[in-house]
Amino acid sequence: MAFKRDKKEEEDGGNPYQNLEKTSVLQEARTFNDTPVNPRKCTHILTKILYMINQGEQLGTAEATETFFAMTKLFQSRDIILRRMVYLGIKELSGIAEDVIIVTSSLTKDMTGKEDTYRAAAIRALCSITDVSMLQTIERYMKQAIVDKNPGISSAALVSCLHLCKNTSATDIVKRSLNEIQEALNSDNVMVQYHALGLLFHIRKTDRLAVTKLVAKLTKINMKSPFAVCMLIRMACKLLEEETIPRSESPLFEFVESCIRHKSETVVYEAAHAIVHLSGTGARHLAPAVSVLQLFCSSAKPTLRFAAVRTLNKVAMEHPSTVTACNLDLENLISDSNRSVATLAITTLLKTGAEASVDRLMKQIATFVNEISDEFKIVVVQAIRALCSKFPRKHTVLMNFLSGMLREEGGLEYKASIADTIIAIIEENPEAKEIGLAHLCEFIEDCEHTSLTVRILHLLGKEGPRTKQPSRFIRFIYNRVILEGAVVRAAAVGAMAKYAANCAMLHDSIKVLLKRCCLDVDDEVRDRATFYSQLLSSNNRQLITDYLSEPMHVSLPVLEKTCQDYVLNPTKERINLSELPVDIVVKNISQEPTRKQNVDNAVKPVEVTVENVDGQKLPSLIGLDAGKLFCSSEPSMLTEPETEYVVRCIKHIFNHHLVLQFEITNTLDDQILEDISVALDVSEGFQYLNEFKCPSIKYQETGNVYVYLKFPDDSVDAIASFTAKMKFIVKDCDPLTGEVQDDGYQEDYRLEDVEMTLKDQMLKVKVGNWDSLWEEAKSVCFEVQETFALPLTSGGLSDTVSQIISFLGMAASNNSENVHPPNKSSHIVNLAGMMRGNCKVLAQAKLALSENSVTIQLTVRSMDERVAELVVSTLD
Amino acid sequence: MMTLINRILDWIKSKFWTEEMELTLVGLQCSGKTTFVHVIASGQFNQDMIPTVGFNMRKVTKNNVTIKIWDIGGQPRFRSMWERYCRGVNAIVYMVDAADTDKLEASRNELHNLIDKPQLAGIPVLVLGNKRDLPNALDEVELIDRMNLNAIQDREICCYSISCKEQENIDITLQWLISHSKSNRQSST
Repeated sequence: MAFKRDKKEEEDGGNPYQNLEKTSVLQEARTFNDTPVNPRKCTHILTKILYMINQGEQLGTAEATETFFAMTKLFQSRDIILRRMVYLGIKELSGIAEDVIIVTSSLTKDMTGKEDTYRAAAIRALCSITDVSMLQTIERYMKQAIVDKNPGISSAALVSCLHLCKNTSATDIVKRSLNEIQEALNSDNVMVQYHALGLLFHIRKTDRLAVTKLVAKLTKINMKSPFAVCMLIRMACKLLEEETIPRSESPLFEFVESCIRHKSETVVYEAAHAIVHLSGTGARHLAPAVSVLQLFCSSAKPTLRFAAVRTLNKVAMEHPSTVTACNLDLENLISDSNRSVATLAITTLLKTGAEASVDRLMKQIATFVNEISDEFKIVVVQAIRALCSKFPRKHTVLMNFLSGMLREEGGLEYKASIADTIIAIIEENPEAKEIGLAHLCEFIEDCEHTSLTVRILHLLGKEGPRTKQPSRFIRFIYNRVILEGAVVRAAAVGAMAKYAANCAMLHDSIKVLLKRCCLDVDDEVRDRATFYSQLLSSNNRQLITDYLSEPMHVSLPVLEKTCQDYVLNPTKERINLSELPVDIVVKNISQEPTRKQNVDNAVKPVEVTVENVDGQKLPSLIGLDAGKLFCSSEPSMLTEPETEYVVRCIKHIFNHHLVLQFEITNTLDDQILEDISVALDVSEGFQYLNEFKCPSIKYQETGNVYVYLKFPDDSVDAIASFTAKMKFIVKDCDPLTGEVQDDGYQEDYRLEDVEMTLKDQMLKVKVGNWDSLWEEAKSVCFEVQETFALPLTSGGLSDTVSQIISFLGMAASNNSENVHPPNKSSHIVNLAGMMRGNCKVLAQAKLALSENSVTIQLTVRSMDERVAELVVSTLD
Repeated sequence: MMTLINRILDWIKSKFWTEEMELTLVGLQCSGKTTFVHVIASGQFNQDMIPTVGFNMRKVTKNNVTIKIWDIGGQPRFRSMWERYCRGVNAIVYMVDAADTDKLEASRNELHNLIDKPQLAGIPVLVLGNKRDLPNALDEVELIDRMNLNAIQDREICCYSISCKEQENIDITLQWLISHSKSNRQSST
């Protein structure tokens, strides 16, 4: 009967589990309580339950608990298949049901029993139901299982331990099995070795030294498992990124390179992939990796071809010349039956090929672009973007292609990447601006992604007024006001106002349009429209420039906090915009996904602003009268991170004064520090004014010592370094009760020097019209010019540029911090900053690449001659 | 040859006349539940048992009766789950440490709590006072009194004093259990 039914279902071609209903399946699960157990029937029901859960059906706690306990009754059956299904069921329900530890004993019995088919699965189930309090009771069994001679069991135990490590308190218990894990690492089985290595790395990952040691040890022995070797390569690369010694001397790099000659393809690929993705790998080191990938390109296995061409694609982004050698192989892959391989091959060729081949390749892409997934379309878009900066003359062809793609169906990420590319092309290539904006206008006519529309509207407001025929954009923008949602309408109003401010001929017509928007149903849109109308009617040029043409320079987080404070505690004092700190420019997230910039972005900029807000309160906190805070530096460590006292220094800069905040943390549980002060050896010119000691710091507490200084009158002397010493009284105490045991003794603790740099006293200012400011400054400012040479680093000019920016602490304008293309031989960086005392500083650095060095001509213009000299001397 | 035929005959007989019964073994921790299972299964007393975390399921065959035993942990956190495993069994065996008078009251409360559950109405209960080999152990009469067993009127209830260590009264316990297997119960009703 059952057989007949199965057959019928097969003929239907349907999924027998398709129309499962939760309540009826759970009802069926009551059969588990019947005696005797019918293994076939129960297995079938269990399958249904598992299928249902994996399809995303949500079970309530009561339902899950009921089912779970019914399932535990199945432990009476000796049917192997049924038992294994029960393990799976336990794992699935362990997160939902209550009291799941009820099966601990039964699972422990199975994991130590004679039946090998039960043991691995029982371990996995056991680790999913156990909690930290139970873990100690099963620890012994886990240790035995890790070193079991059956590889499946050993692997199961290792991986289960890894899962347990998600819970930090469980990690300590897992660590006690270190000897067993080490033993498993020597196993002959590929999986066991791999899993053991994974677990070892995981429990040591917080201890850098231990990882280094482990990697150093393992790179010397030949591990059998290719998976383990792959993992080792990854760990080695992580360490390599942090290493400072040159690649050619590093034993780790040597190891990675040697893996290219490994007999396993997986390892070879992993090694090549690793070399390619290491930051700052030179062409010489890349060559062997690329030649291996070239071999893979002609492999019979599609996976290998795919992996190789994908990695080559990555290489081509930064080192197109290295990949040129593979052009022939890549040409062959264009006709590959696998579309993904073909796409990657073409985009790689686009990056490496000559200008002449662009048209041909673009045609080829057009034939199959509709057949590939969004993800690969993005790859194509990125390739086109690289092409645009390489061959600016081709922009019409490429732009047309992009606008064609914009019209196709696609997700937000895909559309955003196209819009990004067009925006990038507009920024880099002034000739492309008009066409690019026109394409974007057309795109927002039919764009379902609000965030993208808003961005484009903003861009239109910024760039549009400066084009030859600004009026043609207005229709597109006003259409948004008529057709779209509130968010887009508000953005459109803002964009229109910019046209009115910057194009005299459009002024009146836009005012009419804005008047209409004043009746909008949405508050924000109405507010904006009213604000802009009033502003434009005022005819006050200064106001219009400050609030419309030029964006505000005020630090927005601080402004927000100030306003919030004001709303909570209204005071009579007004908020004065000019008193708020100037915006610290956080390096804008560049769309170019190169490694270097990703690293920059990873630096947490948020913290700076938070410190800034704290710094505002500083004067009242310690009763100073030094005027408004100019800026606060990021904290710098004055001790090694793992010493008995951890000291960080934050420099708060005022116009003529300086407060050094020493944040001291006591990490010794048997000591109390009292009467803490910091003795500074203040260098010449600085004036020591006052000091605020910290009365006492207990274990794991942090206290602050403030030192109040006055800057030298001559700005050139304001760069200095002070030797610092912490003075305090140590009292021993009972670690448990914190009771002080003696009178204590005086102690000195040497800190690292406190450096006062230019960067600390300079704020980054982002200006839109740098060129006009520079010209203006020529007549009214002092100018200092000097020429230097810096040694060339592996990153080329862009490295030197970022070095200069970080030394000076100024912001680069007009995207001049990006060296495009990266291999060009000269570059100009335009910088702007504000020195303490609200002294504006402009600087221009002209860089030229010579044999082994970069020649820099730095010109600084400032109202204060001494400041200009100071800036120049910093780079010296 | 004869022995072989006899064994085959025995096997066929056992196939036809084997009874099945299911019972649940509960009681406070350290009263000797797992030890008891071990004794009736293997006939040996094992001194060092580890506390049962959750439950153990054992099948024991005695005199053509296969007894399925759910041996549930007695720690407080498992007590709420006893009832789930007592539903529909042929008998509940309640183990008491007769030598530990301090815990008797707790034991009595747990027992009465358990059998007051409507789901378990009518299921026969066998109370075993274990550890009678110890000097201060209570005998059956005292146990019945202290456990207030006379108050239980709605079902069959029985109390034995046993010792797993010395294997005393294990046989009468088994007899009681076997007499409560399915068919025997049916014939008696």
